[in-house]
Amino acid sequence: MLDAVLDRIFPLSPQVFVGIITGVVALNAIVGTIPLLIYFERKISAYIQDRLGPNRVGFDLGLPILQKLFRGFGFWGLGQSAADGLKFVLKEDFTPRGADKFLFSLAPAAAVVPAMIGWAVIPWGGALEVGSIVLGGRELVAAGTVQVMAANINAGFMYLLAIAALGVYGVTLGGWASNNKFSFLGGLRASAGMISYEIPMGLSILVIVLMAGSVRPTSIVEQQIGDGAVWFILAHPLAALLMYTCILAECNRAPFDNAEAEQELVGGFHTEYSAMRFALFFLAEYTHMIAGSAFFVMLFLGGYHLPGVALTTPEETGLLAVLAKFVVFFTKVVLSICFMMLVRWTIPRIRYDQVLKLAWQTLIPVSMVLVVSTSVMVYLGRTLWWQTAVMNLALSLALMVIWPYLPRADVNRRVPLAGSRFSPLPGEAVRTGVSNPVALTDNPMPDKNQGLVSVH
Amino acid sequence: MAIAPSEVVTLTRPPMNALESVYIPEVLRGFGTTVRHFFTSFGQSKIPVIGASKTTRAMQYPEERREDMPVLDGGMEKSNFRGVHRLNRDEQGRVKCVACMMCPTLCPARCIHIVAGEAPWEDREKYPVKFEIDELRCIFCGMCEEACPVDAIELTPEYDVVGLSRQEMVFDKEKLLSVYDLTISAKPM
Repeated sequence: MLDAVLDRIFPLSPQVFVGIITGVVALNAIVGTIPLLIYFERKISAYIQDRLGPNRVGFDLGLPILQKLFRGFGFWGLGQSAADGLKFVLKEDFTPRGADKFLFSLAPAAAVVPAMIGWAVIPWGGALEVGSIVLGGRELVAAGTVQVMAANINAGFMYLLAIAALGVYGVTLGGWASNNKFSFLGGLRASAGMISYEIPMGLSILVIVLMAGSVRPTSIVEQQIGDGAVWFILAHPLAALLMYTCILAECNRAPFDNAEAEQELVGGFHTEYSAMRFALFFLAEYTHMIAGSAFFVMLFLGGYHLPGVALTTPEETGLLAVLAKFVVFFTKVVLSICFMMLVRWTIPRIRYDQVLKLAWQTLIPVSMVLVVSTSVMVYLGRTLWWQTAVMNLALSLALMVIWPYLPRADVNRRVPLAGSRFSPLPGEAVRTGVSNPVALTDNPMPDKNQGLVSVH
Repeated sequence: MAIAPSEVVTLTRPPMNALESVYIPEVLRGFGTTVRHFFTSFGQSKIPVIGASKTTRAMQYPEERREDMPVLDGGMEKSNFRGVHRLNRDEQGRVKCVACMMCPTLCPARCIHIVAGEAPWEDREKYPVKFEIDELRCIFCGMCEEACPVDAIELTPEYDVVGLSRQEMVFDKEKLLSVYDLTISAKPM
C-alpha cells in the first residue's frame, strides 16, 4: 500500500524538486533582504540630503550583557530595521470602529501575497544539471537538466502580468475596509494609477516579446546572451525607459506615490493600519520593488548574465555557475532598487492628474507607436540590436520634435463657480480690493465703496 | 497696513528652452545633483572616502553640542540664549526675588505662579513663599527676564531638560534656585 503510494509520488521531476528549493531559498533571500533595503533607503536618502541617517542602533537590544559583548562594534545603525520590526510587533493592532473586520485583516495579506508569488517565474540561476537522488533503493528525484526557478512555465510573462495586476486589490480593499473615506480615496487613487500604468507596461513588454518571439522567461534571458546579442536595454532603450517608469508607478514609488504621498497626505490607504498589518503593507511595497526590479533585470538587463564572465552563460550548468548567476542576478536587482531610491529623492512627486495624464496621454501612445514600429521591423527582419536601437532613438527624437504640435485636450481647466467672489454673475458688484492682509479672518472692508467693481 | 497694489511684485517664470521642455536631460541633471550630494556626504562620516569633500555637516547631537562650538561656526551664543529659568540669589544666598508680580503679569504663556508673603528680612517687604514655573507651558520668550526690576529671574543656556511627568516639569522655588547653583559658573549674573 505504502509502496504503491510512494511509487506514484517518486521519483519527483527534477524541475519540481529544484523549483521547491529555489522557491524557499528565494523567498527567504527576498524577505531577508527587505530590512537591508529599508536601511539602504534611509541611508541613501540621508546622504542625498546631507544627513547621516541611522548610525546608532546595533543589536544589543539595550541589554547590558550584549552591550558588553558588542563593545566596540558600531554596526553603522544596521539594527535600525530590526528595531523598527520589533516596534511593529509590540504595537497595538488597532481596528477602527465600523471597519469590516474580515476585509480589514484580509487586505494586508492580499497586498503581500501577490508581491511574494510574483517572482516565481524569474529565472534566478539559469540551467542546472541535477543528478538522481537515491535513498534506500528508491529514486527520489530523477536526473535531468532543469531551470533554477520556482515554476518553469511557458506563459511566464502572462503569469507575471496577472499577478502584478492582483496587487491593486490589497490597496483598494485596505482603503475600503478601513471605514474611512479618506483611506478609501487613497485606495482609489492607488488603484487608478496602478491600472493605468499596467497598459504601457504590457505594451513595452510586448516589444520584447516581439523581439524574442517567446513568452518564456528563460528564453528571453538566453536571447540576450551570446554572439551578436546584447542586453535588450541597448536594443530598446525607449522600451526600457517606459518599462522602468511603469514599474515605479506599479510599486507606488516616487514620483508616482500619490497613494501614500508620505510628506503630504496622512498615509493614504493605510491610514487606519497599525502594527504588523501596516508592516505587511510596507513589506508588500518593498517586495513589489524586488519583483518589479527582477522583472526589469530579466527583460532588459540580461538576467543572470555578466558580460565577459563565462560562468554566467547558459552553457554552464554546474552548481557553482548557478550560485554565481544567482549572485549576479540579485546584485542587479539591488542596484535597480538603489536606482529607484535615487529617483525617489531626485524627482519631485507629480500631481495626481499629471500622473494619469502621463500614463494616458504620453506613455500609452508612445508605447503603442513603439509596438507598431517594432512589429514592422520584425516583419522586415531588421532585428539586429543596433537597428532597433536606432529605431528607438529616432522614434524618441521624432516624438520630441512633433510633441508640441500635437493636439491635446485642455486638461486641468478651471471650472468657475458662478456667483462666487472670483467669477461673479453678470451685473453683480463684488469687492476686489485687499482687506487687512494680516487679519486672521476675512473682515469686511472699512470703506464700503472702496474697491467695488461692477462686472458685466 | 494694507499692501498697496504698487508694492505687489509680479514674478514671471522664465519660459523653458527646448532642452528643458524635453524633460529627460533635466532629470539627468537632477540625478547628477543628488549623486554629487550622496558622494560628498560620505565626507562627514568617520570613514573617509578618498576625494570626497565635506558638505554641510550634520551634528551628532548628544556627543557634539552647539555650546562647544565657536559661535561663528554655528555654535551657541550663551550670553543671550533663552533656556530654562533660574532664580538668582543675592550675596547672602537668599532668593533675590521681591515678589513684585511683574513677571506673572507680563508672561504671555501664563506659566509663572507666585505666592507672595511678608519677607523675613529687613531690606525688603515681600518675598515669594511659592514660585513655580511650568516649563511645559513656557514659550521661552524671555519677557520675565526683561520685566524683572531686581534681576531675580533669568534664562540660562540649559535647554536639554527632561522629566517623566508633567508635574515634574513644574519647577518650584528650590529647583529654580538649584538651577542657579548649577549655572552660575556658566553664565555669571
